[in-house]
Amino acid sequence: MTLRYRTRKLTNALMFSFTGMCALVSVSVLFFILGYLVWNGGKSLNPDFFTQLPKPPGEAGGGMANALVGSAEIVLIATMIGLPVGFLGGVYLAEFGGTMFPFLVRYAADLLNGVPSIILGMFTYSLIVVPMHHFSALAGGVALSVILIPTTVRATEQFLRAVPQPLREGALALGASKWRAVSSVVVPAALRGVATGMILGIARIAGETAPLLFTSFNNRYWSTGLNQPVASMPVMIFTYAIAPYADWHRQAWAGGLVLLLFMLGTNICARLVLSRGPSWRN
Amino acid sequence: MRTTFHSLTKASSLEDTDSSVRQQTLPKLKISNLNFYYGSYQALHNISLDIAANRITALIGPSGCGKSTFLRVLNRMHETIRDTRVTGEVLVDGESALAMDVATLRRRVGMVFQKPNPFPKSVFDNVAYGLRLGGVRGAELRHAVERSVKRAALWDEVKDQLHRSAYDLSGGQQQRLCIARALAVDPEVLLLDEPSSALDPIATAKIEELLFGLKDNCTIVIVTHNMQQAARIADDTGFFLLGKLIEFDKTTVIFETPARKETEDYITGRFG
Repeated sequence: MTLRYRTRKLTNALMFSFTGMCALVSVSVLFFILGYLVWNGGKSLNPDFFTQLPKPPGEAGGGMANALVGSAEIVLIATMIGLPVGFLGGVYLAEFGGTMFPFLVRYAADLLNGVPSIILGMFTYSLIVVPMHHFSALAGGVALSVILIPTTVRATEQFLRAVPQPLREGALALGASKWRAVSSVVVPAALRGVATGMILGIARIAGETAPLLFTSFNNRYWSTGLNQPVASMPVMIFTYAIAPYADWHRQAWAGGLVLLLFMLGTNICARLVLSRGPSWRN
Repeated sequence: MRTTFHSLTKASSLEDTDSSVRQQTLPKLKISNLNFYYGSYQALHNISLDIAANRITALIGPSGCGKSTFLRVLNRMHETIRDTRVTGEVLVDGESALAMDVATLRRRVGMVFQKPNPFPKSVFDNVAYGLRLGGVRGAELRHAVERSVKRAALWDEVKDQLHRSAYDLSGGQQQRLCIARALAVDPEVLLLDEPSSALDPIATAKIEELLFGLKDNCTIVIVTHNMQQAARIADDTGFFLLGKLIEFDKTTVIFETPARKETEDYITGRFG
């Protein structure tokens, strides 16, 4: 009896520390990465990094100004395509759908969400780069929008569904059409949640690399137009990291740090927006 | 039990003499042979009923008896639920409610729900919602909002916070706001689905009092779980059981000399 009791206590203590350790590992990875990035790239993170163009190979110094602007450009294009399509698609799923078609759309969106991003790059390559005969910021934006659409669809749908049914009924009972009830009552009530989903979606595409490798490609200078190849942070980091120069390696670390800080910033933003609670209760 | 109800219904029996004169005119709502189905389940069986203008009609009955379903059919809110079907006829002043444009019907037949459901907007914007749908703007809008909030006996409490969120109001105030919102488009009929079941007795009393005041301009149909409430405020009462309308008569008759055994059993608390 006492032996059995001690075995049980021991098992409990063992499992408790084991699960605790695993939990610790999973959170410490983030801090480890952050520390490593600061350690390796912190020194290269100077004003030049944000304002200078890349220097020719072998020459020290220079920065990633063109990649910062290029990334912003690509993400902006992706946002302009992905957010409206994803949002309206999500509204349809949550508010207007029947049974069969929404099921298909939802399933397709979830699958699309799981498609490796390099495949989306290949898809955009054959859809836009091949007919245009060259890499472009536009192609990069389209490739990223394909990632943004399904996440926006699902986030929008999820937060619209969380709006209590009596709010819809209240609007309909006053003679509002379905669309009017959705646009003037349901969407405003869900706006915070939907906005959070959108912010997280944008943060995610800002760090995507694979779809950009053969869509927007890279550029060592300022891009001259949307139909020209353009530099972006993830591709620049990739290029610098595999180059044989120590200074470029440091800059790659610095780029990684900037990207990670952007992610952290947007995530904190999203949490702040959401933590004020669902709009229909305030 | 009987005597309690007798004293409660005294007020409405006194009023009967003058409103029975008006009752001679056409019914405001005429429901004939109404059947209602959720999929293959029949929730309402062959209901026929005349609801008189400018009176308060209460619908009572145990949970799940179909009284709320019946109320929703009157302004076709059942259409928001998938896979429902109606047969029979509902006439509003002789016009078919089931054939009418649904937005028109819902503006003529307004509805207040069980739990207060103000929109996540200001007090003013809540009341203005239906008016704006109808294209009312500017000074006219402001006057109409004020008038409706006054009719809902809420003006003194909210006149200084019209532009605060409706969620800052108490539950009872929110429910009166929902009544004001429904009244703003000047409906001929107001349907209320257990409007005070989520409220305390004081808030309930305020709502009942305001419903009395609305009778002159509006026909009121109220579903209630609370028999005392029906006895207090209703001119006519209908008793529902298992999807059927068992008995419909003047409230005093229903509570004092019901014709049907089932009604008497329910009223006297023998079941339900």
